[in-house]
Amino acid sequence: MIDLGQYLPILLFLGVALAISCVFVFLPMGVSRLTGTHNPTAEKLSEYECGFPAFEEPRSQFDVRFYLVAILFIIFDLEAAFLFPWAVSLDFTGWSGWTTMMIFIGELAIGLIYAWKVGALEWE
Amino acid sequence: MIQAIAFYLFATMVIASGVLTIMSRNPVHSVLWLILAFFNAAGLMVLLGAEFIAMLLVVVYVGAVAVLFLFVVMMLDVDMAELRAGFIKNFPLGIAIALVLLAELVLGIGALGAGPLELGTASGANAPNLANSNIENIGALLYSKYIFVFEAAGLILLVAMIGAIVLTHRDLKTTRGHQNITKQVRRNPKEATQMKQPTVGEGVEL
Repeated sequence: MIDLGQYLPILLFLGVALAISCVFVFLPMGVSRLTGTHNPTAEKLSEYECGFPAFEEPRSQFDVRFYLVAILFIIFDLEAAFLFPWAVSLDFTGWSGWTTMMIFIGELAIGLIYAWKVGALEWE
Repeated sequence: MIQAIAFYLFATMVIASGVLTIMSRNPVHSVLWLILAFFNAAGLMVLLGAEFIAMLLVVVYVGAVAVLFLFVVMMLDVDMAELRAGFIKNFPLGIAIALVLLAELVLGIGALGAGPLELGTASGANAPNLANSNIENIGALLYSKYIFVFEAAGLILLVAMIGAIVLTHRDLKTTRGHQNITKQVRRNPKEATQMKQPTVGEGVEL
């Protein structure tokens, strides 16, 4: 059973954060409209980059090796996530649970050794 | 009372950000809305009492999967005009998928009469209550009853890792020489240098 009352401060924190961010976004907009400084023209709204119109899309292709690093991160992130319930439940699972996790870590260690040997972790 | 308000807040936010994920024109904005949907789904999980799942949603989905999605969006360099050009060509396929999703929606709405909303209880009817917290329960089941499923998950992760390496890794040894540390350390002065006494008028034999 979980006492959700423990989460009330977090909920209050979220509410305060939401209120403050709304103030920061909407207050300047409202003030500028009320004081009459809100006066957009085509020149003001055009995109602008160091005195020139933007030359190209801001997105550009980059090396696929970043993707490989991200995938490896996901896998070891999941491994760490599996470690938490294992660590607190050893009273219930005992030696079989411990061995299970060691085999699991061994499986991923094979992958790590492979990545290391192939050179996937190297950056030129 | 507060729980019900929080539930409807999170549920509305999940649905709204899900809609914005598929409606927004910029794919990067789509990913950001998806992250908001993940956060609110985590809030829903907390309300259900599944605290560990909630933390996993934040750590794994927001921390890793969403970053991966951003990478994919950036790497693909999506041209939206080009994507829209294929609209007519893929129209029948899109309609077929939409029908399948509509059937799922109808089934889901049909589950509306299943019962009232139960919030703040850690257990469903069949959930075993071995320990006094959510994460201990998960561990006690996952590493005893579901050992083989867990090990299979490990094998799948291994396959995913090796597959990703095979697909994306390129051997870069041709571009620049690689440092062989063992070879460098094993060098000694006797092999590396030679003393020569060259005489005048003759060459040096190396």
